Amino acid sequence: MQASRARLFKEYKEVQREKTADPDIQLVCDDSNIFKWTALVKGPSETPYDGGVFQLAFSVPEQYPLQPPQVRFLTKIFHPNVHFKTGEICLDILKNAWSPAWTLQSVCRAIIALMAHPEADSPLNCDSGNLLRSGDIRGYQSMARMYTRLAAMPKKG
Amino acid sequence: MASEDELMMQDATDDGESFDDDFYSGGDVHDDSDDDDVMDYDFIDNDSDDSDTVIAHHRSQSNYSILNEADIHKCQEESITKISTVLSIPRVAAGILLRHYNWSVSKVNDEWFADEGKVRRIVGLLENHVPVPDGEELTCGICFDVFPRKEISGAACGHPFCFTCWQGYISTAITDGPGCLMLRCPDPSCSAAIGLDMIKKLANDDDKKKYDRYFIRSFVEDNRKTKWCPAPGCDYAVDYIVGSGSYDVTCGCSYSFCWNCTEETHRPVDCGTVSKWILKNSAESENMNWILANSKPCPKCKRPIEKNQGCMHITCTPPCKFEFCWLCLGPWTDHGERTGGFYACNRYESAKQDGVFDESEKRREMAKNSLERYTHYYERWATNQSSRQKALSDLQQMQTVHLEKLSDKQCQPESQLKFIIEAWLQIVECRRVLKWTYAYGYYLPEHEHAKRQFFEYLQGEAESGLERLHQCAEKELQGYLDAEGPSKEFNEFRTKLAGLTSVTRNYFENLVRALENGLSDVDGHGAYSRAASSKSLGGGSIKGKGGRGKGTTSRSSSSRNIDDSGHWSCEYCTYANVRSATACQMCQQRR
Repeated sequence: MQASRARLFKEYKEVQREKTADPDIQLVCDDSNIFKWTALVKGPSETPYDGGVFQLAFSVPEQYPLQPPQVRFLTKIFHPNVHFKTGEICLDILKNAWSPAWTLQSVCRAIIALMAHPEADSPLNCDSGNLLRSGDIRGYQSMARMYTRLAAMPKKG
Repeated sequence: MASEDELMMQDATDDGESFDDDFYSGGDVHDDSDDDDVMDYDFIDNDSDDSDTVIAHHRSQSNYSILNEADIHKCQEESITKISTVLSIPRVAAGILLRHYNWSVSKVNDEWFADEGKVRRIVGLLENHVPVPDGEELTCGICFDVFPRKEISGAACGHPFCFTCWQGYISTAITDGPGCLMLRCPDPSCSAAIGLDMIKKLANDDDKKKYDRYFIRSFVEDNRKTKWCPAPGCDYAVDYIVGSGSYDVTCGCSYSFCWNCTEETHRPVDCGTVSKWILKNSAESENMNWILANSKPCPKCKRPIEKNQGCMHITCTPPCKFEFCWLCLGPWTDHGERTGGFYACNRYESAKQDGVFDESEKRREMAKNSLERYTHYYERWATNQSSRQKALSDLQQMQTVHLEKLSDKQCQPESQLKFIIEAWLQIVECRRVLKWTYAYGYYLPEHEHAKRQFFEYLQGEAESGLERLHQCAEKELQGYLDAEGPSKEFNEFRTKLAGLTSVTRNYFENLVRALENGLSDVDGHGAYSRAASSKSLGGGSIKGKGGRGKGTTSRSSSSRNIDDSGHWSCEYCTYANVRSATACQMCQQRR
């Protein structure tokens, strides 16, 4: 408990200091609970998520960093490896390939990378996965873009 | 080196810690302050020196050997020594390599000499040791605190982490299970393997013990030719020469099991039938229903897996790590673009149409529909099981208590009472065979009438023979035990029991042979089919599968024969009579 708190505090200070280091990621710690974080990540360019801002919720276990944080999308996203309803993310580093040397910041980077490189072979969102696997890139992209517009962009006017 | 090895071995068996201390540094021989230990293990060492004779007393056949923990450790160390010498690499590295290639020395050699670089990459053995970076103070890569250099440690890759974080990292991995044997550097970009040397240096004592345990277990469990004895509390492993015939092995703890499926020995029934039967039995219990409904066995290692989240791409937990599709249970490598790609998993659809897929569904369906049929077989299976247990303890009792008593009462030397032990051994063995024939019978297709009849005939014969033998060994013997003094009928009893033993043995040999041939004689031999049909005509025959067919048995053409010991078998009841008798002592029919 103490170790995880100390480590999270270090990450917190690092985030404060390097606020502008990565303009695509904005990590915020919950005001009252250092084990709850949220992040705003920008959809990577040249992907259907470009222009969207996606909110992630982090729930950090007491054994952190020996155990991975639980992360899910709060913003609706159409992506083969993200559950459409719950926002659950299928990403190896959040499961069995976790390493304690990862940080919340690097997890965000990994999630951005996942957005740019969907892994259609192990889909949580089957519709999205099937579009990609059948080679209907346009279909996938337009669906993903539509949901980006609907859910991840500020309403105009 | 040999003497060192021995000392190490002595230690290894009772004190895992000091064993790896010495072992992996390969150097200093520690003092064996504990004299008792030395005594103990001297004994084992003497054994292992001419190891062929040692364990030989455990083995009846030479296609397997029994290994105790010291033997296992010795084999493991021998493999490591071989690899370390041949490849000129440290013992720790050899251990990591062997673990990765399931302790197959030849596989390690092949792979290594085919492409050393590739093997090193896969396994995580760096060619060059990278030291932890210079500097008075270093930042731990996990807790991000700054430490003096001497409180920081790194694997061969030099990535710096503090002792506390190392300990936490290693401890988490060890708690997660045997996957800790394949531990890598915590740095995500680094794949350097963490070997026993690091564990020894950095883990706490409890974790070290667990790690050693996993290390030993890995040698037995990952190895294709060794398995643990499944008997509860037994620590022996059985090393089996694959492809050398019968799978029946008897462990040093005297438990007999089938090496292939690790269930108790089940000759003449095959492993598939046995596992179906056992699953079926437990399927009736709540637990198994839950497992069936909520989990699927890993297609490779058969451990049940509960899917509680995530995608259909399942990776079994280490060491299996088999990747498969949850829907069709096929290897994941078969999925993707090559199979037409859709996630609906077309393999699943086709398999379901063929009726191949949903085994568990079908099994439950069957259980409902044929519960009665199942109960019939199960009851008989279970009764023979408990009857065998009883016979085993009776045999025990006989050997330890009654034989001596009987010897006194009847004024017979114990050496002349062997026939009683033989009878009991036969009973135990027959109960085992008979038990499994009920599993066999359950799975014998209904529509194969000839086979069914033949099978039930043989089973009935065998069972009635066994019942007579059991009765005689249990009830009649009691009379002689309770007798005041020597009875003059005792010699007749001897003849009778010995005769019944031999007759029963014959019946069971027939039964075993026939089942192992898949009842193929049913069409080939006129005699058999006649026997089978005469049985079925002989009234009330179907209940013969219940086997209480005393006296309804049909006549075998061979019954006139006088066997080697000069007995003649009664045509009616098959009782083995002494040569001089003109009428059967059992049923009074004339010869």
